[in-house]
Amino acid sequence: MKSRFLFPYWCRYLGWALVIAHVPISMITRNHGLNIDSPLVNNELFSGGHLIFICTALLMALGLFLVAFAKEKIEDEQIWQIRLDSLRWAIYVNYIILITSLVFINDTGHILDLNLWVPLIFFIVRFRWVIFRLNRSLSREG
Amino acid sequence: MKNNIRVQRAIKNITQGDLAEMVGVSRQTINSIESNKYVPSTVLALKMARVFDKPLEEIFMLEEGD
Repeated sequence: MKSRFLFPYWCRYLGWALVIAHVPISMITRNHGLNIDSPLVNNELFSGGHLIFICTALLMALGLFLVAFAKEKIEDEQIWQIRLDSLRWAIYVNYIILITSLVFINDTGHILDLNLWVPLIFFIVRFRWVIFRLNRSLSREG
Repeated sequence: MKNNIRVQRAIKNITQGDLAEMVGVSRQTINSIESNKYVPSTVLALKMARVFDKPLEEIFMLEEGD
């Protein structure tokens, strides 16, 4: 099975490392009351706020992206199908949340935030869950 | 679609893991195919038929409603 457009297996660990590294950075910035929600308030590239934004949101997004699209150890056709299926569900969920929040919430900034995380996180959770269930049924069979 | 891969494996005396390695998929995939949870692609089905040295129809058969 040819699997193009996927990162190598080790990218998964790099991805998790980035996600974990993002946690203390964002805690510190939040505790110090730094404004990371609007990185380009004064339209200044690479100002303090913008750099913090890059270190938190973008690192996290990149990490999740690597986790989501790294190859499995054995990337076969069933994994491929689960991947597609999870992706479809992630898009469904994303758009349902997006449309509902566009109708009911008047805060486009946070909607953008949501749109950044929901598809990736939902995809990863669903994908891992199906693989976990597969492995469980395998160990039950022995 | 039904299959009798489990029987064929027993005849050849190979494990799920052996078969998985021979056709280049994971053990999970062989297990899902055996328990009818996953329908393999034509390429994979043909590869398995080659391992068992049998025509495809002796390993995979259509069910009512397929």
